[in-house]
Amino acid sequence: MKINLRIWLKIPDAEAATVKNTLVRRMGYGKVLTGLERERLFALEVDDAVEDPPDLARMLARELVNENKESYLASAEKLDFERGSVPVKVGLHIEDGEAETILDRLRNRLGFSMVKKVERSVIWKLKLDSDDPEKLAREIAEVLLINPHKDFYEILR
Amino acid sequence: MKVAVIQFPGSNCEHETLVAARSAGLNGEIFRWNRPAEELCDFDGYMIPGGFSYQDRLRAGAIASKEPVMETLKEEADEGKPVLGICNGFQILVESGMLPGLDGVDAALAQNVMVTKGEIVRRGFYCAWISLRHDAVAGRCSGSYLIDKGSLIDMPMAHAEGNLVTADENLIEKLNEENQIVFRYCDTGGETKNEFPVNVNGSVENIAGICNPEGNVLGMMPHPERSSFAWQLPFVDPAARRQIDTPGPGRLIFESMKRYIEVSG
Repeated sequence: MKINLRIWLKIPDAEAATVKNTLVRRMGYGKVLTGLERERLFALEVDDAVEDPPDLARMLARELVNENKESYLASAEKLDFERGSVPVKVGLHIEDGEAETILDRLRNRLGFSMVKKVERSVIWKLKLDSDDPEKLAREIAEVLLINPHKDFYEILR
Repeated sequence: MKVAVIQFPGSNCEHETLVAARSAGLNGEIFRWNRPAEELCDFDGYMIPGGFSYQDRLRAGAIASKEPVMETLKEEADEGKPVLGICNGFQILVESGMLPGLDGVDAALAQNVMVTKGEIVRRGFYCAWISLRHDAVAGRCSGSYLIDKGSLIDMPMAHAEGNLVTADENLIEKLNEENQIVFRYCDTGGETKNEFPVNVNGSVENIAGICNPEGNVLGMMPHPERSSFAWQLPFVDPAARRQIDTPGPGRLIFESMKRYIEVSG
């Protein structure tokens, strides 16, 4: 079973603002990019025998989310996104050392032995004024959001 | 001879880099990223110092690589002017495609992964004095113009993302064939053992610095400006510490750029 934690900042997101600024002011996407938001995504593979996934998700969120500045949404298995933006998932295709460290901490220091795997990625939600927003999102991912020598991207639907 | 030390928001080694350049006989100034880019053309050479441009937002070097000043820098580099990227400067040059300079963005500088006896023993930021072996022939590269092949140079490194990786299976072979691998991490005897702590960040083939095919653009993760004076060295004769101008090994990088400008000028 997979538990997804979508996490976003409650305070202004300087990184998202910088990326939007670069796309708009430096890379010519000013007329088509109307908005850009960023989320962190943890996809945690857990034991199928877990009895109360929502409760487990809440406990995991206590460790992975700083609720002083972040909000989160937990879901089991499926990821659903609001209409109106193209969600682009960006992660590492090389080994993710931070994800490995988080898995080790959850299992061996915090007692979450039911967690089997941790995947970490960033979701860029692009609001695009285009006839083919998915194509444009792919272009933006390839020209800025990833370095193909270490990152992959995926358009989430 | 006048060099521009290009400062982005978040650069933090620009003053030391300028001092090191001046100690080698170069004139120069700090060039802020938001000055009119065409003013860059007035300089004979360029340095992109270390730091955290744009707070490493998105990826180290990714945002700075899209600034207009980088377009002008590319044009000046295409004219043959020398460019030296140190640490974050190297990351910016890789993200911009200026290094290794073959076909767009050819590589990435990923998070450090320290491996000993097949086990990952450490990840992320690491700061240490290290030895580098110069693997290019003298004259191949602007930033190591005066350094003989096989020479060893000590200087500090301090970074979290210096692990050169590539998805192009042939890239490293090409870099070797074209003598674009300028510096490798090695032990004090010059051996390039592919294990931490000799290979400090897991970089493929112990690569610490590369140049473009023409040799005028050099990027390196270690910091030559932090070993340009003998008093900066950790284990030094106390008498040398009192001689403020005694050069350290890193000064050779800046003297090399000066010589390159003289010869190519």
